[in-house]
Amino acid sequence: MPLLSPAALDAALLDAHAAGDSARLAALYGKAASRFNETADIDAACFYWTQALVFALEAGLDEAGDYAERLRRLGRI
Amino acid sequence: MDQRLTDEELAPVLEPVATARGLPNRHYVDQTWFETERDKLFFDGWAGIGFAKDVPANGDAMPITLLGQPLVAIRGRDGKLRVFLNICRHRGMILIREAGPIRGAIRCPYHSWCYDLDGALKATPHVGGPGHNSHEAIHREDLGLVEVPSYVWRDVIFINISGEAPPFETAHRVAIERWREFDGPLFHSGADSGFRLDVATNWKLAVENYCESYHLPWVHPGLNSYSRLEDHYNIEEPGAFSGQGTTVYRQLADEKGLVFPDTPGLGDRWQTAAEYIALYPNVLFGVHRDHSFAILLEPVAIDRTAEHVEIYYHAEEALEEDHTALRARNSALWETVFKEDIFVVEGMQRGRHANGFDGGKFSPVMDSPTHMFHRWVATRLA
Repeated sequence: MPLLSPAALDAALLDAHAAGDSARLAALYGKAASRFNETADIDAACFYWTQALVFALEAGLDEAGDYAERLRRLGRI
Repeated sequence: MDQRLTDEELAPVLEPVATARGLPNRHYVDQTWFETERDKLFFDGWAGIGFAKDVPANGDAMPITLLGQPLVAIRGRDGKLRVFLNICRHRGMILIREAGPIRGAIRCPYHSWCYDLDGALKATPHVGGPGHNSHEAIHREDLGLVEVPSYVWRDVIFINISGEAPPFETAHRVAIERWREFDGPLFHSGADSGFRLDVATNWKLAVENYCESYHLPWVHPGLNSYSRLEDHYNIEEPGAFSGQGTTVYRQLADEKGLVFPDTPGLGDRWQTAAEYIALYPNVLFGVHRDHSFAILLEPVAIDRTAEHVEIYYHAEEALEEDHTALRARNSALWETVFKEDIFVVEGMQRGRHANGFDGGKFSPVMDSPTHMFHRWVATRLA
């Protein structure tokens, strides 16, 4: 997935929500989480990893395990 | 609050058929009794809700409503069909709104609690605050979907909402044994082997009409040409099912003599026999040497019933191209027969508004399967 500006990421998330595209939502929320993780904003990162986890579970994606593990390591599950 | 029949009200229905009266009008026109029957006849026992063929693949889900109860039938990744209350354990939101495949987990559309297809609660996002997905007060192991006991017989999905009925195999042991020879796989050809009839009648009148052969020469004169009244016999199993059988079933054949292939391993008696039973409360079955059907009676309202009819074949060859026209003829034949019954069940429903009706007088010989159904209803409501 190409790097998106924050505004473009927001727009992409809205589009994916409108389309009910859970696989894309998982990927986009995962992207958002990574950005906040890089800036050491752990609370925000965990919010977005949670979002990513939910949509990855819904889509049946293997990435759900990765998101869950990140949250688990931070004591958020 | 549930109504109860007193001993005095019960007695005329429980009399032997020769002296009995049928159920009084209120069981067909009084909403309070409709709700009592919902609880006592449908929820406390095994009621039919749908067809397993409609959730064929692992991961398929189908929401179903039975008398207001939101349910969902799901075929798990393990191939097992389960029925759950179709509500999230968080806020009671309806989970699945349309039939279709579930790719991963079931996600509640409200706050996104997620469930596995076996009902286990998988995720409770932000339940402990933003980004916190657990809380000491939230015990996921106790918060799975509420499973309703279910059983599939002859492709019909039965459920016991109260959870208090004996196992299906126990409750319906006699019916299962009676038709053991038909236990092989059932083959359904899709939309050309199913139809729905919407009928302005109480569901019980559809059962009562189906049970007996008395009406055949009058309502189904086309059947009378080869299946005469005297070729029929009553089928009665107190507390479970009743119906009728015939000894002169004749296979449908086209102009070239093509017929549907027989059920493998069937005994000789079934060469010319066919049987039709109403499994109480709401599923009507028929079996023949080469095909069978199930009619699911869905009580839509006290005076409205949806009849879901599905026809099955007993050998896969019946689904092949060369049988397409014959299948269409068979479906059309049954649709004609079942439509012929509509005016009588609707007429009896309208008749139940007559204040002077006393429940009716049965033929001691011809109406005993119907009487047996009334006895079952009355006993359950006592």
